[in-house]
Amino acid sequence: MLLQHVVNAISLGGIYALLALGLAIVFSIVGLINFAHGELMTIAGYTTLGALLFGVPFPAAVLLAIATTAVAAMAMERIAFRPMRGASVTSLLLTSFAVSALLKVIFQNGLSARPQPLAMPQWMTGSYQVGNVAIGVGPTISIVISVVALVGLELFLRRTVTGTAMRAAAEDFPVVRLMGIAAGRVIATAFALSGVLAGIAALLWVAQRASVDPLMGAVPVVKAFIATVVGGLGSLPGAVVGGLLLGAIEIGLDAVLPPSVVPYRDAFVLSGVILILLFRPQGVIPAATVRRG
Amino acid sequence: MRSALADSVAMAAAVLLIAVAAALFGSTSMQRVVAHAAVMLSAVLALQLFSGNSRIVSFGHAAFMAIGAYTVGILTLNAQLQHNALPQLPSFLAGLELSTWNALIIAAIVGAVAGVISGATLLRLSGSAAAIATLAFLIIVYTLLAAAREITRGSQPFYGVPRDAGLWVTALFAMLTLVITRTFRETSWGLAARAAADDEAGAIAVGINPRAAFFFPWVLSATLAAVAGGLLAQVLGAFTPHTFYFDLAFTLLVTLIVGGMGSSLGALAGLLATTVLIEVMRQVESAVSFFGLTQSALAIAMILVIWRRPEGLSGGLELNLLRRLGKQPAATVVPAEVKRANADVLRVAAVTKRYAGLVAVSDVSFEIAPDSITGIIGPNGAGKTTLVSMLAGHVPPTEGKIHLGETAVHETAAHRVVRAGLGRTFQNIRVFTRMTVLENVLSAARGVHSNVAAAEEAARRELARVGLLEQADALAGSLAYGMRRRVEIARALACEPTFLLLDEPAAGLNPAETRELMTLLAAVRKERGIGIVLVEHDLMFVMQLCERILVLDQGRLIADGTPAEVQSHPAVIAAYLGSRVAAKSLATSTPSLGAVVTESN
Repeated sequence: MLLQHVVNAISLGGIYALLALGLAIVFSIVGLINFAHGELMTIAGYTTLGALLFGVPFPAAVLLAIATTAVAAMAMERIAFRPMRGASVTSLLLTSFAVSALLKVIFQNGLSARPQPLAMPQWMTGSYQVGNVAIGVGPTISIVISVVALVGLELFLRRTVTGTAMRAAAEDFPVVRLMGIAAGRVIATAFALSGVLAGIAALLWVAQRASVDPLMGAVPVVKAFIATVVGGLGSLPGAVVGGLLLGAIEIGLDAVLPPSVVPYRDAFVLSGVILILLFRPQGVIPAATVRRG
Repeated sequence: MRSALADSVAMAAAVLLIAVAAALFGSTSMQRVVAHAAVMLSAVLALQLFSGNSRIVSFGHAAFMAIGAYTVGILTLNAQLQHNALPQLPSFLAGLELSTWNALIIAAIVGAVAGVISGATLLRLSGSAAAIATLAFLIIVYTLLAAAREITRGSQPFYGVPRDAGLWVTALFAMLTLVITRTFRETSWGLAARAAADDEAGAIAVGINPRAAFFFPWVLSATLAAVAGGLLAQVLGAFTPHTFYFDLAFTLLVTLIVGGMGSSLGALAGLLATTVLIEVMRQVESAVSFFGLTQSALAIAMILVIWRRPEGLSGGLELNLLRRLGKQPAATVVPAEVKRANADVLRVAAVTKRYAGLVAVSDVSFEIAPDSITGIIGPNGAGKTTLVSMLAGHVPPTEGKIHLGETAVHETAAHRVVRAGLGRTFQNIRVFTRMTVLENVLSAARGVHSNVAAAEEAARRELARVGLLEQADALAGSLAYGMRRRVEIARALACEPTFLLLDEPAAGLNPAETRELMTLLAAVRKERGIGIVLVEHDLMFVMQLCERILVLDQGRLIADGTPAEVQSHPAVIAAYLGSRVAAKSLATSTPSLGAVVTESN
């Protein structure tokens, strides 16, 4: 039983961590809290659905979805946020809020409001035995993919020039520009990365629910926002820790709460998380520099 | 303050006019639209009271409205209806059938309590993190309302609320909220919140506790939002937790941003604009079937405003009716009758500061009496900035003690050190750019004078002192560099300090401005008997102005004496030999404070 809960907690936490990480990368570099991150998830979900309907093989559909989401994130930056460059943190936040609202309306009109089934391949839905405990294949894959994505991101940030520039930009953007690195490229890469992470997270999320709907991104992304704040706004390790923490609290409460109290779960989760902030206002792992805002 | 009252009367009159017009000429549905708009105006004003003064975006106000709405709903529901709809309602809530007024008062109290509880936590966070935390608060309240089925009917519509609040009650409350919101920004709480939002370190330097500064506006605005929610319950009659969720939070924010976050006029302008927009879109929506047309129109309106006119339709400005009509009291120069500073001494005893192995300041001791001008000099990295931060109470020393009179600076919060008698300026100027010059100084003066008129008089006196009375109503952010420096000095003086701590006051000033600054400082010292302590790189400036000079090198105090003594001190010459220019100016600049003062007379 316990093992099951741990696997579920890490797999859910992993999804939150990927989303929170995507938010944190963008925030650390441009100071934007991207409310439209949830819509990126929706784009990933429907791209997969569409590709599968057109008979694209599953692995190709997954890659296509992730690539599309990355491009969508970059397009979002180019169209909506670049004209606002240099605007205050508040203006950026509100702009993304409006972008999110617009995209929601477009999705609700362009797509059927009803959830569409998206069947995952057979081999992902089964379970396997560890001792006498049945562990889902889905959550296990989810954990593996989250770990691979995190390690991949870490390698990118440590081993490549662009990655190094991005880490530097997170601490002090003006200096990075003085070093002769094109600001546009760093920002575009940040959005692309956040899109890739949102795409992966969306697929893992969909894999566990086997359906997509126009507002599918709203709930997990709001949780991811809170994870970034708990972890320490703008701190990448903080985002991961915050995401895992949130997943653990949620699954833990699901396990221990009596059924009559379960509807209150989110209130408990968020209150608990806010209590953490009471003791660590800068987050569990504060960002390296005090960011604007 | 008079200006605020005049403005709020004018704006309230406009609301009244609309209400009267609707009552006389409007159809019933028209009157309902106006009543609904009046409630939304109150809610947007409540949001403005917090977000406009603190510059923290809040998604939580929709939640306070929900709290108010359900409170009023449960308390005013007809007993029989309540029994049918909510059979499991806890008995202490059942069958109360309170009047609208009593229910609204209780909603206000519940809102205030919710504000205190949430504010104590949320406002420990800064800026964006606080905004996200208000989002969490919105979700918490929504979850609670949807889950507490016995009390709220969960996600089912809560219906049957008596629709007692018509045009007049809603308009009256909107007018009241207008007066409160417009006046609030001029009160000491409003000034403190705006100062802390503009520049946290600057706010601390005038004795404001930035963490506490946002708390009162948050609670007050939560209270007003809860009452607005209660009225909305009465206007709508039926609602669900979803009525008060993201869509409402979004609408409130858009309305405020479109009008201009910075002022109550902005909230009013925003409400008029969005009400018209929403009503037009409703008509269009009924003609073409396109889901979410209103939401997208609002979103586009907000993006356009943020992009083209970031401060909103109102430009973030208040009406300022009196100033426009030229009824502002003439800027009279008050005779410089100021209190002489007390005789508290600034004592630094064996102070050391270490940063992770690096010793920034090492075993430094000195005493400074008031009625003096002391310069602290030293090569780069000597520890001057660290010493200043410790004197101001910003950084506690690792070892040693600092006393200002009876106050133990080393264990006192920086904003309290100000109250103990230490005014300061910053190397990188920290004026409150979105406040007027007068408000900048007033934010400091209000800490000393509880009486509004006395504080305003003191603020004008300090502005006259630094020669900025003409610019009193200009935004501090619009001033030239040299003038901002003077605003900062006036602001520090308005704290009525015993000691004035200036961090590189001459940096970036041209020779003429530097000369004026010297004259000003010498005169201020003479007239008030305060102790001026300044850290400065311009050795000429220090040698001419100061009567005593402390020299730091590598964290240690290597010399303490008159300019002449310091200039011939072997250790000082050794320390400055690295820089030929500095060594030269050290050798040639002659102490001539007397000469400067005479020249200016």
